[in-house]
Amino acid sequence: MPDSEAGKLSFKLVYYGPAQSGKTTNLLRLHEQLSPELKGEMMTLETQDDRTLFFDLLPFGFRAPSGLLIKFRLFTVPGQVAHDGTRKAVLSRSDGVVFVADSDRAQETNNAESFQTLAENCSRVGLDFEHLPLVVQFNKRDLPTAVPEAEIRARWESAPWPLVFASALRGDGVEESFEALLRSTYRHYAESHELASRHGLDEDMFVAGALGRQAAP
Amino acid sequence: MSDNFDREWRLEELLDAAVLDRIGPALDGLLAGDVAIVGIDGTALWGVATGEGLREPLVLELEPVGYLHSRQAAQASLKAIRCLLEQLLRTQARYKMASNLHLEAVAEDFESLRLEHAKLQESEARYKALSADLENRVKAQIVQLEERQQMLYEAERLATVGQLAAGVAHEVNNPLGFVRSNLSTFQNYLGKFAQLKATLGEGEAAWRRLDLDFVLEDGQDLLTDTLKGIDRIARIVAELKSFSNVDRASEEFSDLNDSLHHAANVIEGQLPSGVSIRLNLLPLPGLVCLPGHINQMLLNLMRNAAQAIADAGRSGEVRVSSEADEEGITIRIQDNGVGMKPEQLARAFEPFYTTRPVGSGAGLGLSTVRNIVLAHSGRITLESEPDAGTTVTLFFPVPK
Ligand SMILES: Nc1nc2c(ncn2[C@@H]2O[C@H](COP(=O)(O)OP(=O)(O)OP(=O)(O)O)[C@@H](O)[C@H]2O)c(=O)[nH]1
Ligand SMILES: [Mg+2]
Repeated sequence: MPDSEAGKLSFKLVYYGPAQSGKTTNLLRLHEQLSPELKGEMMTLETQDDRTLFFDLLPFGFRAPSGLLIKFRLFTVPGQVAHDGTRKAVLSRSDGVVFVADSDRAQETNNAESFQTLAENCSRVGLDFEHLPLVVQFNKRDLPTAVPEAEIRARWESAPWPLVFASALRGDGVEESFEALLRSTYRHYAESHELASRHGLDEDMFVAGALGRQAAP
Repeated sequence: MSDNFDREWRLEELLDAAVLDRIGPALDGLLAGDVAIVGIDGTALWGVATGEGLREPLVLELEPVGYLHSRQAAQASLKAIRCLLEQLLRTQARYKMASNLHLEAVAEDFESLRLEHAKLQESEARYKALSADLENRVKAQIVQLEERQQMLYEAERLATVGQLAAGVAHEVNNPLGFVRSNLSTFQNYLGKFAQLKATLGEGEAAWRRLDLDFVLEDGQDLLTDTLKGIDRIARIVAELKSFSNVDRASEEFSDLNDSLHHAANVIEGQLPSGVSIRLNLLPLPGLVCLPGHINQMLLNLMRNAAQAIADAGRSGEVRVSSEADEEGITIRIQDNGVGMKPEQLARAFEPFYTTRPVGSGAGLGLSTVRNIVLAHSGRITLESEPDAGTTVTLFFPVPK
């Protein structure tokens, strides 16, 4: 459940995935690419050789027509297997997840295992995995060793989640992934938080506000 | 207030008293005391907020968590101070987030360990139960195997004894038949000698010289005795035959006193010297039983009792009694022989257990005796005292 205080609604969105798949890079790109009304500094808590030890945090937001502050707090989990306790703690209380998979053929097992722990950890920390807003991103499309898109699509065909292909390194697909998550998130929480009815915020406005774009007329 | 690492922090949490004590005077020094730090709800953490003059927001993530107030400070100075303060706030927030996250992660790790431990314990318990179950099953199977083996052993033994006895009876009967018939014929012949005397006349002197009168008379006596002996042999053989009828597997309605008499008769001739047997039998109701097995069993108990007295190296008496009430029949076989020590008594019913040297045990073991008793829904109890004697009590329920 998004955290709602007087005048503010805060969404916790988490980038989850195997080690080195590009979660931190996704956040860095978003920080560069997005221009929302309010954009905080990216906070990288602790790293070791570029690997996240605790989490990264990127806060930004915008105001709804009603004056409500819509706030997003984007977190990355540490991908390394050893940090499962931290991963679970960071995943706790999240309102949506981007699963960042590594397209490299050699990483297929790691992707599968990480996705498996996502499902398990969700239930451990009390999240309803079945209904959690979730987007699956296949990152590092630029790699020559990347598994072909057709093959991945075929494999994920029957899965209910939006599938996005990205290269965070180049900046491709990062915003698209986040937009997909924003839409799922909006649909999931709009009604219970009266986003349209009370705060005058429809889905496109929600997305536009978050990304800092002009809403489509 | 929850301790989630990802909650938003209030200004007063980040600038606690200890921090304010250190930075407050420094701020005062910079702005000549004209500065206040105010929380988002308007309460002053440091200095006095007047509401006049300049106000700079303190932003941690996006929105202000508090404000800096000053009446007269230059805006640039206030902005510079804001910048420093925000840097401090971020450092404080990072520190708090990190330590809270650490605690949460440790708790999660601990919880995972606990769950894993619980799972391990559960599976350990399952394996323990399984192995205990297996062990019990193996034990039960061993007991069953031992019982089966014992039963086979007994059945074979009883069958052998029966066959032997039947064979002996058959073999003895034949010669007995013709010996008896010959003897009575000879008796007739002797009669003819008697008639001869009357017709001999002059031979009378010779008759007297040979003392044939005595020969005749004594011959008669001898033959009468012999016939009695033969009759007795015939009776014993007949008894042995009926007694050893163990291959007669069908149950019969019979009187246990008959069996006791039979057994006593059979053993009477084999009693060690100085040992006697005394029966004190009260009328009993009939019992449906396997007489062959019952007879074997009683014979063995009596033989054990006699042997126990002989082993004690003294004379004594095997006392056999029977009585009945509405519950059933009680038979007691009592000796005043060597008796058994408690540890011997405890093992007495084990198959193949014997206190006698291996090979000398002639009778059935007590375990066989017990099995026969159990097969008749009966009970057997042993009382014994070293050097005082042993009492075996058998009880057979009588159906009402
Ligand atoms: N070729 C390629 N490399 C990428 C891409 N995205 C990230 N990387 C590289 O992959 C490495 C790991 O990236 P990070 O963003 O730190 O990965 P992470 O998922 O945060 O890793 P952890 O914090 O250890 O879980 C870095 O060297 C990135 O430059 C991509 O799209 N293509
Ligand atoms: Mg990272």
